[in-house]
Amino acid sequence: MTRAFFPAPPDHVPAELIHDFDFFSVPPGEGDPTEIWHDLVRSGVPSKFYTPRNGGHWVFLDYDDIVEAYRDYSIFSNHQASMPPMEHWPTLQPVGFDPPEHNVFRRLLAPMFTPKAVRDITDELRRRSAVLIDGFAAKGSCDFIPEYAEKFPTSSFLYLFGMPEERLDDFLTLANAFFRTSDPKVKGEAVNSIFAEIDAFFREKQKNPGNDIASTIVTARDADGNPHSWQDMLNCGFLLFVAGLDTVTNTMAYIWRHLATTPASRAYFRDRLDDPDGFLRAIEELMRINAVSNIVRRVKDDCEFRGVQLRRNDRVALPNTVANRDPRTFRDPETINLDREVNVHVTFGVGPHRCVGSHLAKREIMVSLQEWLKRIPDFELVPDQGQATAFGGSVMGFRSLKLQWPAG
Amino acid sequence: MKVHVNLNVCQGHARCEDICPEVFGTDAVEGKCVIHQPDVPPELEDKARLAVRNCPEGALRISSR
Repeated sequence: MTRAFFPAPPDHVPAELIHDFDFFSVPPGEGDPTEIWHDLVRSGVPSKFYTPRNGGHWVFLDYDDIVEAYRDYSIFSNHQASMPPMEHWPTLQPVGFDPPEHNVFRRLLAPMFTPKAVRDITDELRRRSAVLIDGFAAKGSCDFIPEYAEKFPTSSFLYLFGMPEERLDDFLTLANAFFRTSDPKVKGEAVNSIFAEIDAFFREKQKNPGNDIASTIVTARDADGNPHSWQDMLNCGFLLFVAGLDTVTNTMAYIWRHLATTPASRAYFRDRLDDPDGFLRAIEELMRINAVSNIVRRVKDDCEFRGVQLRRNDRVALPNTVANRDPRTFRDPETINLDREVNVHVTFGVGPHRCVGSHLAKREIMVSLQEWLKRIPDFELVPDQGQATAFGGSVMGFRSLKLQWPAG
Repeated sequence: MKVHVNLNVCQGHARCEDICPEVFGTDAVEGKCVIHQPDVPPELEDKARLAVRNCPEGALRISSR
């Protein structure tokens, strides 16, 4: 943690734009980590404010400003944009680069995540989802996070990456060590272990390439016909690991939490098991209301942006959950309206860094919900959830979500 | 009614394809918008209009001819 990165507050920020806000902290007793962001809006802070916490950074709250920050990479860079600023962190490919450098690995990944590519693997995703749910459906209860929401995206990742299904437990252990610790030493060790796994696997795939993402990465050639640098390939493999697991896990956690407490929503989806269009439209609304990612950009050069002075290397936090409830963009934004017709949510970001896995993520959630409701049409929260397990930060969510239903 | 896409602005969200696959699709390389029917048949106009309004990038446009 580099708290002293700025001698806070810096002199380019006027006092009226400074507000004490901690990106990572969820107060004890707060059941929903997105609420710390909505509390900000309700408190009437300026829509672009600066907090001295976590190295000092801006927070944008208006949909239009957040969208513009996503789009204008000439001001808001994604290169070395970690918050707080971190050393020894790999520059992930392609997301850690701005266009045009970004284009090389983005173009490499894009064909594997198009809607068509994702449609083609739906049967296998469905099979993996069904196996997991069948494992606990008759029991009448589960902890949704470790028993499904962590396992399913990890299992899907192994499949896409070309890794054997038997490695699931090993990778769950790695993912847990990486995502669930705030100890930099433990996290660093987990990063090294994940890189070592990817490195060994990529070497194997170089010798025996197959029809999977790892093989595509290691056999790709740059514009001059040469392989990409080994480190860039590893950084791309690592990106797929870090970006595709925790985000889906916690989005599902929020969605199942909503469904467990809202019988009308469960009935809505049950009624549309044979209506994929209606099912998908309603999932878009749950994606809008359950945006778990808070994205950070780094200011490239001193400039004025829509009335505020920004300085080179200032960090800017872009909370999607706030953008998605801006009343100037969304009619009746606080209402979960599963029939919502116009829904330009930014849960996957916009602009050149739009989440390359967005179609996969939505498909994983859709398939999971369909397979779940076929087997477990009604379910509720276990009344005693035990200790609060909500956490905030760049991905918000829960470590535990205990569900119950009539045992079969 | 005609629909148009600005491929410099499209980022491949595919919301148009999800909502009105008769008119909009996506390519297999970049996942960007492909318009199957630039001249939208009258029975699909409402659906196509909704698809245009749901583009998070504002990459789609409607013209009368």
